[in-house]
Order: sequence, then C-alpha cells, then structure tokens
Amino acid sequence: MINIDYTDRRPLYQQIMEKIENLSVRGILQPDEQLPSVRTMAMDLSINPNTVQRAYMELEKNGVIYSLPGRGSFIARMPQELLNSKREELFGQIEKIAIPAVLLGISKEDFTDRCALLYDKAIDLAKEGHKE
Amino acid sequence: MILAQNIDKYFGDIKAIDNISLEIKKSSVFGLVGTNGAGKSTFLRLLAGILKPDAGKITIGDAPVFENIPVKERFFYISDDQYFFSNCTPLDMRNYYARVYPNFDKPRFDALLKSFDLSPTRKINTFSKGMKKQVSIICAIAAQTDYIFCDETFDGLDPVMRQAVKSLFAADIIERGLTPIIASHNLRELEDICDHVGILHKGGVILSRDLDDIKDNIHKLQCIFQKPLQKEDFPGLDIITLHQRGSLYTIIARGNSDEIAKIISGMDPLFLELLPLSLEELFISETEVFGYDVKKLLV
Repeated sequence: MINIDYTDRRPLYQQIMEKIENLSVRGILQPDEQLPSVRTMAMDLSINPNTVQRAYMELEKNGVIYSLPGRGSFIARMPQELLNSKREELFGQIEKIAIPAVLLGISKEDFTDRCALLYDKAIDLAKEGHKE
Repeated sequence: MILAQNIDKYFGDIKAIDNISLEIKKSSVFGLVGTNGAGKSTFLRLLAGILKPDAGKITIGDAPVFENIPVKERFFYISDDQYFFSNCTPLDMRNYYARVYPNFDKPRFDALLKSFDLSPTRKINTFSKGMKKQVSIICAIAAQTDYIFCDETFDGLDPVMRQAVKSLFAADIIERGLTPIIASHNLRELEDICDHVGILHKGGVILSRDLDDIKDNIHKLQCIFQKPLQKEDFPGLDIITLHQRGSLYTIIARGNSDEIAKIISGMDPLFLELLPLSLEELFISETEVFGYDVKKLLV
C-alpha cells in the first residue's frame, strides 16, 4: 500500500502521512476502510513503530483518520478543509509554472491546450493506477 | 529508562569518556553515532556493566548496573567482536543463555533459527561473520530482555537481513516495549529506525535529541544573492556552518523551515532552496563545529 522513498529527505512520518492522505483523496482508500495496524505497517516497512504511531496520530489530528479504541484506525470522510488546502497547494504550483510560461511568450491557447492534453493523459494514468 | 549521569572513564591517562550524561527512554530506538574513537563502544560497555565508571553513575530503572545481576538480566549486549564458546553450536548457546536469562524463549529461538536458515547443530566457528551476527541477534531477541545493546551489529548483515532484523525489532517494540540501542556508522539506516540520536565526539555528547525534532529544526539552504555577504549579514538566522562558492551560499541553520524561508526571502535572494538535513549532513556539520573537518584530514 505504501512504499518508502529512501531518497526523500523529509522525516518518514511525514512521508507516511502524505501517502495516506493522497490515497484517501484519490478514493483508493474509502471512508471507514481500516488501516493496517501500527505493528503490521511497521513490520511491512521495516521501520520503527513509533514513527507509524506518530504518523497516525497526526493524521487523526488533521481529521484524515479516526481510531476506535481496541479496534484500530479507519479512514475518515475527507475533511473539506484538507481537500481545499490540497487544491490550493496545487494551484500554487501551477502559478509558479505560469509565470515563466508568460515570460517565454507561450500563448494562452498553447498553454491551456497543453494542460488539457496532460489532464487527459493523467486520467488514463489514474485509471491504470486503480487497477494495480 | 536508562540514565547516565556525568560519566567519566579513563584508560590509563586516556580519557575515553568525558562527562557524558544521557537519558534513554523506554520503547524508543536510540541511535548512538560518533566519530572514530569517540567512545561509543566504551559507553555501551559501561551501560552493560562490563566497565565501571570512574565518576558518575549509570542506572537502569533506578538501579545501578555494575555488578548487579537482576539489572543485567534486563538487557542483552551484542558486542562488536562477539564471543561464542569454543566448539559450541547455536543450541549450546541457546541452552547457556536460557540459564542466564529467566524469560528466555526457547521455542522462539528455534523458530527464528529455522527462518534464518541456520543449522542448530553446526559449529558456530564454521559460520561466516554475518551468520555469527545473526546468531547473536537471535539470542538477543529470544532472551526477551527490555533492552538490546547493538554495537555495530547491523554493519555485518546483508540488506535483506537488516530489513528482517528491523521488522523483528519493530514487533517487539510494540508487543513488549523493547528498547534497542544501536551504535552504527550507517547513518542512512539509523535515520529510518531511530527515535532519538546521540552524537559522541572525543568522549563527550555533542547532541542528543529526537530525530524528528532535529529534522524539523535544522535545515540546509542553498541561496544566491546579488551582492557578496558575510556570516554577519544574516541577522536573526542561527547559522551552524556557512560555505560560499562564488555567489552560491550553502548554509546549515537552526530554526523551522517557515522562519528561515521568511528571513532569507526578506533579503531578496535570486534563488533559494530549503532542504531538510540528512543525518549524515547533520553529523558532518555538528562535528565540524568541534573541529572535526574533512579538509583538515586531506593534507
């Protein structure tokens, strides 16, 4: 379900958080779906269980997951603020690209056409990702 | 909890350990790193009660460790040069440790030996170096102690074994609050499993903190400015090291990423990139402050 990117410099717990968030945003993890226990996840990834614990704790604080005592952790309904902040983050990245595009003299049509093309391609890729 | 308070240790006139104080919490993974000859192994041997500190005291759960058998039953020490009785087999070692450690789990030992594909009746002195390490680790896990002291134990294992051992440790941390204390030079690996890191240099502790705190609080930044700047030109920035090559500045500074980014952005850089520090870079920058610098070695 989750792979660790050993070239990523961020703390491991942040990586785990981000991956679970993304799986939940994309609907691969459905609301009320149970997450692997801390023990299972730590053993699968060969990492410190305290790291997994910390990731789960932060996710619960952000409302991405909820936990039932003695039963485990479950995916929560994606909080609207989180979805919004993810969207804003993404549009922020596009803004960073749009500025040099304007400076390079790329026309609005070229830019949006190319974006539309990439968007279609991404839909296909996402579908394949679902099959895996 | 293991508590070392103001430990000194001399070998003749060499001061191997110089006023070390460390606290090791239960159910966490403690990484011990240090420059060569910093005293890592000596410190572990002090923790294991093999050496007696010349000053200060070491307690495990409030009881002193030296010459104290009930306390010694609570940890397993895997030394760098492991010792096995001559001509003995893994089974002999199992039976020996089962007498020393009251909670020794013989079925678990047998199961682990089998899953590591080691023969219980082959003589250990015919095993390879890595296989001997595996036997030690299996003994340690089966001994069911609260603490395991690993002196460069991972360094002789192949990558698959390392993952396997880390997974085994993970299970025991959760199930019975095992506390591994791992001395290693493989910083990349410690980074993945440790909660807390202590850096030793010349017998002293130069840093002991939670790894996540370290990562959130130290950053490497690369930036380019139009005009040349000195270290003093960065007010409000807690700089550990600053290197300049042409107009590119590589700075390692304390503080969280937002604060640092805010300060530098206010100085109008042409380019700014902020990266969390890897443990390896942290080690190099922290020891450099104490004069341990690769450039001095390359004469």
